[in-house]
Amino acid sequence: MRDRVRRWAAAGVLALAASSALTQTRVSQSADPAASAAAPQLPPTGAPAAVVAAPVSLSARKVYEQARPSLVQIRTVLKGGPSQTSVGSGFLVTAQGHIVTNFHVVSEAALKPERHDLVYVTADGREAPLVILQLDVLHDLALLRAGDALAPLAASAAGAGASAAGATTSVKATSVKATSSKVGANAAAASSAAPRGFEPLAFRPASQPLAQGERIYSLGNPLDVGFTITQGTYNGLVRRSFYPQIFFGGALSAGMSGGPALDDEGHVVGINVARRVDGEQVSFLVPAEFAIGLLARGKDAAPIIGPAYGIVDEQLQQHQAALTDRFIAQGWKEATHPRYRVPVPPDVFMRCWGTSEVSRTGGLDFERSECQMDTRIFVGEYTTGTISLRHESYDGSKLGPLRFAARYSQSFRNESFIRLSAQHQTKPRCNEDFVDRDGLPLRAVVCMRAYKKLTHLYDVAVLVATLDQNEAGVQGRFDAQGVTFANAQRLVHHYLDAFRWAQPH
Amino acid sequence: MGAAALAEPLALLESVDRDGLVRQSWRIERWPVTIGRALDNTVVLSDPHVAAHHATIDLVAAAPADGGADDAAAAAAKTIVVSAGATKNGLSVGRERIGAGARTSIADSGRDLELQIGRSQLRLRLPGHVLADEMAMTPVVVVERRWGPTLGFAFAVLLFVLANVWIDTDPDALARAAGGLVLATITAAAIWCGLWSLLSKTFTRQSHFGWHVRVFVLASLATLTLAVLPPLLAFAFSWPWLTDFSFVAVYATVAAAIYFHLLAVEPARERLMRGVAATGFVVGVALSLWFNVQRTGRPGEELYMNHLFPPQLRVARTKPVDRFVEGLAPMQAILDRKAKEQSGGEIDPRNGGDDEE
Repeated sequence: MRDRVRRWAAAGVLALAASSALTQTRVSQSADPAASAAAPQLPPTGAPAAVVAAPVSLSARKVYEQARPSLVQIRTVLKGGPSQTSVGSGFLVTAQGHIVTNFHVVSEAALKPERHDLVYVTADGREAPLVILQLDVLHDLALLRAGDALAPLAASAAGAGASAAGATTSVKATSVKATSSKVGANAAAASSAAPRGFEPLAFRPASQPLAQGERIYSLGNPLDVGFTITQGTYNGLVRRSFYPQIFFGGALSAGMSGGPALDDEGHVVGINVARRVDGEQVSFLVPAEFAIGLLARGKDAAPIIGPAYGIVDEQLQQHQAALTDRFIAQGWKEATHPRYRVPVPPDVFMRCWGTSEVSRTGGLDFERSECQMDTRIFVGEYTTGTISLRHESYDGSKLGPLRFAARYSQSFRNESFIRLSAQHQTKPRCNEDFVDRDGLPLRAVVCMRAYKKLTHLYDVAVLVATLDQNEAGVQGRFDAQGVTFANAQRLVHHYLDAFRWAQPH
Repeated sequence: MGAAALAEPLALLESVDRDGLVRQSWRIERWPVTIGRALDNTVVLSDPHVAAHHATIDLVAAAPADGGADDAAAAAAKTIVVSAGATKNGLSVGRERIGAGARTSIADSGRDLELQIGRSQLRLRLPGHVLADEMAMTPVVVVERRWGPTLGFAFAVLLFVLANVWIDTDPDALARAAGGLVLATITAAAIWCGLWSLLSKTFTRQSHFGWHVRVFVLASLATLTLAVLPPLLAFAFSWPWLTDFSFVAVYATVAAAIYFHLLAVEPARERLMRGVAATGFVVGVALSLWFNVQRTGRPGEELYMNHLFPPQLRVARTKPVDRFVEGLAPMQAILDRKAKEQSGGEIDPRNGGDDEE
């Protein structure tokens, strides 16, 4: 796991999935040689629960015992194959077998259903298929339903099929018998278990908000080792997050994604989703209210059959509309440069870092500022739906015009516009010109890529260089991912408009 | 004897190398002339591909076509008769091939006759054959003797290189970088010109070093200019296409340089060398365009014009933001088409993958 974590990476979502260009690591687990090598002998479901780092209090034991029947591990398995491609956690929210987990735990099954099946495993080892009812891609949630809750119909159909097969083919009688007996057993288990088998967890009412420092417990199956409970603290909502997330002061590991976080009384306050890999016990939960909303919307929905790109698409459209509006509405910071007004957004849902470098060889001095969002929308093999900005302010007074121009040009050249592989995005197209901002001449380049499986969504990048001084200048870059063409144009306009002289010339 | 030696021979038979220079010549004092590996031949060729008695050449008076009426005319018009002996390989006379025992008669055309026997190229010259005018020395030889301009251009190249070093190096690191780069440039130039001279020497027995230096220096000057001029114009007039395709001009310069280098290696095959250089140029440009299309989906080299110069050099006018942003609109159709095309093409391998499972 560690070798996949990039040095700059900040936090990761808790489904152990191969794409780790995320600032957050998602906490579910996928087929990973390193992980399986770490625990080769442990059967996925046989281990009795819990290797817990911190000492667990008496109430943790109570909470775990109470929640244990509601906990499930969610496995994505290759269709017709023996291997699991990823594992996460989940929990029952109704007696009818509704299960809540993270979208990223089920993303492979949701987006490539032709290749993947979903199954859940309970703490006592019962295994059954799952169907997807509803997704909330923006908050990284999915509502599933246990296949055996729908079992009476399916099992009787399968049983009839099996007995018919047994009647017609006598040669393969043994294998058919084995199959049919298994189906029968499943059906029996389902019919007997359905009334009492699903013990849901209750959500903590919104009328009882948690206070910072309150103890909460996170449950799940980390790294496919076994069910566990870890305790930590509630620390309010994460600052500068585009969508609300709970800051959980406790440890989450890959594989715990989708598991519940409970208060002392065993009520769900959030869903495990991500952790920062550059910190200790800095983890994140999706607030329970979004799971409640998702359950209300999707409870009676028909199972999703076929790739869920349409749903992902629709939700990304909502996201980009909201993001563009909020980004444009928030305006810009003032006094970002002595000579220019350089676009830097206020620290509402973005975080900015800066560095300053003085050349050691009498060359170019520069200052850099970089602003990013924590929020990215995970859509299977990549993330999107984020905005970032950066600018560099160059001072070449030690160099003279020609040498400055060479370096300024070099820096302008040194930009990449390829983010995702050709499988997901087209190659970039660019448009460029000299642009006037109230007398301040700029060189502006706009490059865009279209998503291949998400319709009418684009990544847009703007490159700007000021061209009014001989030995100094500012270069800026703006990136927005997963926006419509019209919103891309709005954002480009908004960004370019932000450049101007600080004082009128 | 002395007088006889000075007298004009009946004919001259020469063995020539691939550049047309004479390796050996035999004065023919009587006809017929026998050629072969055995020592009793008039002309002995110690070549394993030549038979003991390979060929005989005779000069006879032309057959009296007009019944021998005009003796003077008959004496002037002669026929060369070439007959092959017992040879496996045969020989060629002019463009005609003769096998063992065969013979051919050729009316003397007044030009030298070419013969190929074994691996030897022979030339038969008869008195009275037309002598071509003296040829002037090739430009290769003329130019390489004039070192003045070459040194002048070399100095210009060196200044250019130094200017580039000055621009690219931070002030504190300049002295060391300049020394190193000048040394590297001179070494590289010497190796390049030296290798070409070696080729020239191998094929023409002359090194033509001066010529190769001149070609190299001029080509370098052109390439260095091409590294500055198109970007400058592209910036000044906002012409992105100029730097997008300026590699074509660079390739042309390189192809021309190689052509001129080759001229001093194979001076006799000017046309072939021109073909080689032109083919190289066309193939190079085509490959680059192809790679660019593969890499970026466009034939040009640069995704965007990325050369910035001091602001005073800008000639093109600025656009208001509104118009610039409106101008983005056509990209949408292009991107949408590409997104469809490529994801459509991609379905096939994926389905293939499914079948395998």
